[in-house]
Amino acid sequence: MSVLDKLNLTGKVAVVTGAGRGLGRAMALALADAGADLVLTARTQTQLEETADLVGAKGRTALWVSCDVTDSGSVGAMIDATMSEYGRIDILVNNAGGVTPGMASALTEMEDESWRVGIATNLTGAMYCSRAAIPHMLEEGAGKIINVTSGFGYRAATNNFIYTSAKAGLINFTRALAINYAPEIQSNLIAPGLFPHGDPERVERWRHGKFTPMGRLGQDEELGPLVVVLASGLTSYMNGQVIILDGGGLAGGHGPTGFAPVVPLPEGA
Amino acid sequence: MRDQFSLDGKRALVIGGSSPIGRAIAVALAEAGSDVAVATTTSSKEEETLANSCANEIWALDRKGFAQAIDAADEVDVSALFERAAGELGGIDTLVNAHELPFAKPAPEITFAEWRRVIDANLGGPFLAARAVGQRMLADDHPGGSIINVSSVLGERGLANGSAYCSAQAGVLNLTRALALEWARSGIRVNAIGAGWTEGMAMVGDDEARSKLERFLPHKRLARPEEIAGIAVYLAADVSVYLTGQVVWVEGGALSHV
Repeated sequence: MSVLDKLNLTGKVAVVTGAGRGLGRAMALALADAGADLVLTARTQTQLEETADLVGAKGRTALWVSCDVTDSGSVGAMIDATMSEYGRIDILVNNAGGVTPGMASALTEMEDESWRVGIATNLTGAMYCSRAAIPHMLEEGAGKIINVTSGFGYRAATNNFIYTSAKAGLINFTRALAINYAPEIQSNLIAPGLFPHGDPERVERWRHGKFTPMGRLGQDEELGPLVVVLASGLTSYMNGQVIILDGGGLAGGHGPTGFAPVVPLPEGA
Repeated sequence: MRDQFSLDGKRALVIGGSSPIGRAIAVALAEAGSDVAVATTTSSKEEETLANSCANEIWALDRKGFAQAIDAADEVDVSALFERAAGELGGIDTLVNAHELPFAKPAPEITFAEWRRVIDANLGGPFLAARAVGQRMLADDHPGGSIINVSSVLGERGLANGSAYCSAQAGVLNLTRALALEWARSGIRVNAIGAGWTEGMAMVGDDEARSKLERFLPHKRLARPEEIAGIAVYLAADVSVYLTGQVVWVEGGALSHV
């Protein structure tokens, strides 16, 4: 088998949470491009229907299910719906997450409820979905879990306590998945840098990515192939790892971008 | 999706074509459409034979390629290798530093000459080759390229008797990050593959050591070289153009364990 054949996901069923827009939609479409059939979940129905239509246009089937990942009952119903439609789950992409009310708050002013909802959305949801999907993957003897963390899973930022804690938690949760369900299931993460997903307000706020080492923001079409790599046979021995797609941001970060001193050796050295 | 990962029209140079991982990467790049030159890092008869058989596999896939024996820590050899690659392949888009000099010995017994040789071969070699890429690409206004350094779990964690080897492998990881930042806006991407314990790797030791390792590893087996090589296709392809300064670990969960 040629190495490129390993990327083929024909016959596989992939569940993508938060698939209504942005990163989730981009990953769902890339998985469809590689041949997978999709289960698309989010809280908002209209955007899911749009993603489902885009998957359909690629010749793959898509089931969309409204689901609140912070509610284990809702997650259970979504996984049941997946099993009755397709009878299997091969790939789970835990992408749902993001900004929740009261998230950007100084710690001394933080409401209990802000912390609870932020952690539920950005960490607990991935646990609920993994817990529900894993038994079905083990039935098949194989599975792929892809969690979505962030540069904030590694590094801190001002008034960012909730998101950064949840995303760091997700990294070690994934390592625990890796060693507990190896070798059948491979669990890895992607950590996207700054991806505006076509939102001009974000492009401006992130100053077109001028401060990143590569000097630009990421594009959705750069994320899709990465999720296919992690969902495919190309990564059969990769487990518990993060791939950081950020134009070099986390490779540095200890000094200003472009800081490149020249310091000669002493005379005679 | 398959087309996006195609390496048709690309030219790769794999240094360390006689090592199991280097050979698997060379073949994977050729399968994905790249022309591939391979270099062996000593001129021992056995390694030359391995590198030649790797080149034969590349030719069998209808790709261009050649095998050459070099000392990876010798500036003249590395320079000559790049000259030949430029001449026969027309240039280099992908550099893979996959050669290694395995070495394990109790620290009190390591001579300074041994230490220098291990650091030169495992860390100096990748630097010399990366420097050659930088010199050519920056001068030519080249549209870009991908450098892939192969390091190991031994660059992230220590190993008894591995002081010299582990130091060099750790150096490769941060060489990767430093060059990535230096060249981020020049279109040269620099990433590393952090390989786990792999079949055929000399550092694994004898059969008894190997079965101890296998019991410990989450996958209960070593990696097959092809499993390390797959990710090199992604790193060489234009689909990973936003990825630089990263170590992609392929180690079967070994680093996730306490």
